Amino acid sequence: MLINKDMKMADVIHLDHHLLHVINRFNIQLGFEDKTVETVCKEYQVNTDFFLEIVNTYHDPSYFPLKNLQRFKPTLLVDYLQKTHHYYLGIKIPEIEQFINQLLLNNKIEPVHSKLLADFFQSYKTELTTHITKEEQRVYPYVKRLEGYLTQSIDKELITKEIKDYSIQEYEQEHDDVEAKLYDLKNIIIKYLPSPTDSSLFNKILHDLFELERDLNNHGRFENLILVPIVEKMEKDLLQKIKKS
Amino acid sequence: MRRLTILMIEQSFIIREGIKTLLSQMNQPFTMEEIDWVVADLPKLLRKTKPNLVFINPVSVVPNALLSRTNDHKILFIGMIHGETELNIISKFDICLDVYSDKQTLSKQIEELIEKNIGSSKEKQNSNLSERETNILKLVALGLTNNDIGEKLFISSQTVMTHRKNITRKLGIKTVSGLTVYAILHKIIKAEEL
Ligand SMILES: [Fe+2]
Ligand SMILES: [Fe+2]
Repeated sequence: MLINKDMKMADVIHLDHHLLHVINRFNIQLGFEDKTVETVCKEYQVNTDFFLEIVNTYHDPSYFPLKNLQRFKPTLLVDYLQKTHHYYLGIKIPEIEQFINQLLLNNKIEPVHSKLLADFFQSYKTELTTHITKEEQRVYPYVKRLEGYLTQSIDKELITKEIKDYSIQEYEQEHDDVEAKLYDLKNIIIKYLPSPTDSSLFNKILHDLFELERDLNNHGRFENLILVPIVEKMEKDLLQKIKKS
Repeated sequence: MRRLTILMIEQSFIIREGIKTLLSQMNQPFTMEEIDWVVADLPKLLRKTKPNLVFINPVSVVPNALLSRTNDHKILFIGMIHGETELNIISKFDICLDVYSDKQTLSKQIEELIEKNIGSSKEKQNSNLSERETNILKLVALGLTNNDIGEKLFISSQTVMTHRKNITRKLGIKTVSGLTVYAILHKIIKAEEL
């Protein structure tokens, strides 16, 4: 079942509590009383349509209406993606790190094994951080600048140079997936580490890994299937505008 | 690949043919029951045709028919959406295809949906690696490239690739660093060798 604007926000959480942190990304906080999604969005000055599309794609992975999603402003999307990055590096990864540190201190677990896991996770963290830094320093600012040009008077040289120096196609080609290592880490814990006497710590780590993977999946789809095409279109529009002027 | 039974409720001849073409080009065997009128009694039709997949253009069924769809989870309902459609109609389907999407998007969506929900007939291999695969895994874990490995074992790097794909499928591990951890845990290599 998909979420619509007339549902009560509280019911949305009951329906799928995994949406909690997605909702927080819009700076929406708990305490919804009986307000509908639309009312809450208005209160927090959030674009209701955009909000609905995001939570629905997250809630139901088979729902991904390309055309609907591609009509939103690039900056709206970029802001959301940036908030998601912040959630990964500022909240989720540190949380998993804490659990892994507890593993290292736990004397019931073979030190060789916890060390293997810890090293593997560190290398994953480095990979993810590099990936995100690149997007935040290079790609997202580029998108924002292009959107700015669309509303300003045309500066031919500046725009031509900008699109020549970097185009979204470059991003599309080198954009790698950051989920492979996570997938491996999950299987190493589920299938291959010798079973510990107490699984609870591993369960917590797994739970977090699954959640992070699901989130990254959704995030990656937005980057590849929505961000890339809308920026491509923006590039085309700008070049056309230059031709005409 | 398993033969699929498909029920197609769509008035447009062109669209029905289009979906058939896509499925054929994906080498997906199927039998299709085509309905080009407005359906009033969907459950009856489902009992009669026993499909795995049902493609429905929402305007080709009376609105309430979708509500009363049987709760058979084995049947996958696919909405074929023409332009703007209300969310509450979209939400009746397991998945929706936009008929105006490009070919690549459509075939990818259909492929995913067949794989995920119907389950491909590819039998699940057990995770026992053959001797050759274990050897190759060891070399991968030690950091050798496909070319290095090919030269060492006198096989083409293409063959090495095939072995690696099989290893990944059997173990559920995709990356080199993941394979390395597996190899250490199973004493195929020692941590000091790295
Ligand atoms: Fe990203
Ligand atoms: Fe990314």
